[in-house]
Amino acid sequence: MRLRYLRRGSQGLGILFGILGVTGIGMTHVIFPGLHCYACPLSVTICPVGLLQNLVIAGAAPLYLFGVLGVYGMVLGRGWCGWFCPFGTVNDLFAWRKVRFPRVFSPLKFLVLLGTVIAAWRLADTWFCKLCPAASLTASLPYFGLGLAELNTPFLLHMGTLAGSLLGMVVVARFWCRYLCPMGAILAFFNRASFFGLRLSQEKCTRCGLCKAACPMGIEPHREGNSTNCIKCGECVIACPHAALTLGFSSPGARGYATLRLPWPGARSDRVPPSK
Amino acid sequence: MRYLFLALLLWVSFSIGQEISLFPGEPAQLGSWAQVAQALRLYPTSPRPVIYEGPTLLNRLFGEIVLGEGRYTILLGVSPQNEVGLWVDFDEDSRLSAGERAQGTKVTGGIAWSFSLQAKPKGAAPYAYSLQVLWPEGRGYVFLVGGAPRTGFFQDRRVVAIDGDLDGVFGTKGDFFGIDVDGDGKIYAEADGHERFSLAEAFTIGTESFKLTEISGDGLRARVEPTSYVSPKVPLIPGSPAPNFFFRDFLTGQELSLRDLRGRVVLLDFWATWCPPCMASLPEVKKVYEEFHTQGFEIVGISLDESREDLERILKDYGISWLVAFEGKRWDNALANLYRVSQIPTTYLLDKAGTIRFRNMEGEELRKAVVELIGEGIEETSNAQVSTLPTLPAKAEPILEVHLPTEIGLPAGEETAIPVRIANISPYLAEEINFAVEELPAGVELHLPAPFALPAFGERTVTITFFVQPGAPNVFPTPIKLRLDYHYCIAEACFQMTQEAVTTLVLGKTTTRGLRVPWWLLLLLAAGVFISWFLWGKGLVGLSFFLFAIALAAMGFGVYLGQARQAQRIAQVLCTSCVGLAEAHPAQDGLSPELRQAFSSLTKSGHLLLFYTEWCRACPYAKNLLAEIASINPRIFVELVDADLERERAEAAGVIHHGKAVVPAVLVVETQKVLFGTEGLPTRLLAALREIP
Repeated sequence: MRLRYLRRGSQGLGILFGILGVTGIGMTHVIFPGLHCYACPLSVTICPVGLLQNLVIAGAAPLYLFGVLGVYGMVLGRGWCGWFCPFGTVNDLFAWRKVRFPRVFSPLKFLVLLGTVIAAWRLADTWFCKLCPAASLTASLPYFGLGLAELNTPFLLHMGTLAGSLLGMVVVARFWCRYLCPMGAILAFFNRASFFGLRLSQEKCTRCGLCKAACPMGIEPHREGNSTNCIKCGECVIACPHAALTLGFSSPGARGYATLRLPWPGARSDRVPPSK
Repeated sequence: MRYLFLALLLWVSFSIGQEISLFPGEPAQLGSWAQVAQALRLYPTSPRPVIYEGPTLLNRLFGEIVLGEGRYTILLGVSPQNEVGLWVDFDEDSRLSAGERAQGTKVTGGIAWSFSLQAKPKGAAPYAYSLQVLWPEGRGYVFLVGGAPRTGFFQDRRVVAIDGDLDGVFGTKGDFFGIDVDGDGKIYAEADGHERFSLAEAFTIGTESFKLTEISGDGLRARVEPTSYVSPKVPLIPGSPAPNFFFRDFLTGQELSLRDLRGRVVLLDFWATWCPPCMASLPEVKKVYEEFHTQGFEIVGISLDESREDLERILKDYGISWLVAFEGKRWDNALANLYRVSQIPTTYLLDKAGTIRFRNMEGEELRKAVVELIGEGIEETSNAQVSTLPTLPAKAEPILEVHLPTEIGLPAGEETAIPVRIANISPYLAEEINFAVEELPAGVELHLPAPFALPAFGERTVTITFFVQPGAPNVFPTPIKLRLDYHYCIAEACFQMTQEAVTTLVLGKTTTRGLRVPWWLLLLLAAGVFISWFLWGKGLVGLSFFLFAIALAAMGFGVYLGQARQAQRIAQVLCTSCVGLAEAHPAQDGLSPELRQAFSSLTKSGHLLLFYTEWCRACPYAKNLLAEIASINPRIFVELVDADLERERAEAAGVIHHGKAVVPAVLVVETQKVLFGTEGLPTRLLAALREIP
């Protein structure tokens, strides 16, 4: 449980970091390690996806952006999604059901990322921003509250995508992070190589499947820990009765191999306790 | 011997030259030239933080008068009762209190305020500086009138020094002095006067020439030193002989000189086909010519045109048969230089003896003068009547700013479009801005923008397209000159201007800060990520550290290339169409015929500030829209403000919200109303312009 409190604390920090604008420091040079609209009245950091689109439109070399994303990716990988991203936290707050949804849709986020880049390149516009539910929540709604926005088509489009995403989150836990988030897709590339990750002790694992039931991303952590869909949130670590899974900083070579190449012999006969 | 030599040297260096003392003079006793006028642009926000403590104002415009190290904020405000007041921060305490209101008087077309400020030149004692502020009603600028004349004597000749640039410091560019070189007790120091000299110019008294080598910041001490002889300036005042010149008549090709026309009354008319006031006076001049030509009246029209075709056409259309001198050099015309013509139309009426008798005569006045001179004998040259020169609100000087990249990279076989920003920094309309490129290397083709006009304080970015033919001789880097020819008119006087901007053409693409963007770092990062994906954990330790290092290097290079700042600038823009504040508009969306009609029928002057940023994608639409409105109705002045570069102005206008620039935003200066976004912008703008009192 200590892990969960720790995560809630760091997610709180993520939200706090997102609304540092209340201090009046203005926009900084810092790229946010998650999906956070820089149009939000209180944001002081740069949304990587928004920046990416602008750089694609301008045809500029994204060295700074990719360098920062590379550093973020190498440190936590998708751990940022589980531990820091405010929109990920919104996903957690709305996660009432942890459904195993068809896995076939999870690579959709890579298509979203590709589509975002292609739309910026071919249409010279930030189309993802115009649909982004994080922007709906942290920019469109606040501006509407401030009386600056009107009930026009772009605003209603934003409300539509927000409602759709929220509904998705209610039905499928971490719906946005699983299927649609382009930022998650970028960090996913680094997930295997990053220093922060899950470790499985094969001797202790009873293959009971409790971690699978606890995983908000609907994966099997003892088989797919640190895969592109693992947000390293540690719910599986909490759920494991045998402490077979651990989470922390380690050399990536020492852990990924074991979890990923483990053959699947089926559930152990002496599995305790039984799945729900 | 050595000491003797040193003493001699010291004596020579101290004795050459003469120190003269100057004293504050009274401009009214000196003539209109001793008062200089300069336009001062006003802004809706103060250049420096200032607290206003006076009565409520509906409309405010701020400006700053800089006199040496003294900086005085001024505020022009309109009260709810429609009273116009001027507040001056006399005590420089950044507070405009009710007691700091200047006393104004109504003058034709505007209001004038007179007051005195402390000029603080560096290294000299502060002194009182009398200034007049003239506001042409409804405009976003004022004229400062002053010059702090200093008078004194050099070799018993009166000297008057003027702070021509009104910066409170003598000895700076634009300052000038007048000296009574001919000793007639009067100084002719009008713009073309023969007794007016810039600080660096030498003057001649008798057979000796002198130079003003030094003047103190407060203008109270000056040093005059002898210099090598320069011929004195020829006087062009009535009563003096007109300088002779040779010319070839444009229509007949006949070689003539002014001297050949002795015995006839001659009108020297400096004009051009592009000068509307000149063209307007042409029919009147023609009438006088037709009436008196047979009685001994001749006209020499000195054309400052460049285009032979234009001149031919106009001469034919107007049926002009008098003598015309044409050089095709516009303002570089030798005859215009001889007569120190700085504005057209300029005319001199000479009597039968070749003496200048009248200046700038037109209409009925001209007819009367011609009748009078025709009736005179050759010897009678006395009783010359002096007609005063029209007073100019400002002297002729370039009014455009040209922003051109210092280096242009031209890949062979490709078209390269270069944006050139042209800004009009004056309150006058710059007309027929023509572009030309000089010293273009062989094998380079270029496409120049069509001529256009730029309204007061307007801005426009034009594109010059270069094309290097494959296989063109490699003569790069080559410096080229971009030349802008245009003219502008102040009241009845027009000025032709030529400005140049220099850039260097380089074959191939130019690089940022001379450093190649290390794309390979990104490729390496991508390759590393790709490999890690397929390694399934094997060997990830080394790869992870390698990837981490690559990412750090890419980040470092990015910061070095200024990309962190670029990212910040991108994020500072609130994309209104992205977050649902406004709908996106294509940049080329124009006004409907009804709206065009409505904008053109507006009768009040309006000053619009368009706040934009480089990374705002809705801004091109707003820019095009405002440019269209300004072109429809000349009463509407549009000024572009980069909210990133002029952050303080943007903040003061309320365009910055929580550190983000909400652009495009249009500020109507007169009402201080800000219109955000592009949603229904034309209709909102029309309504806002109609609200101007």
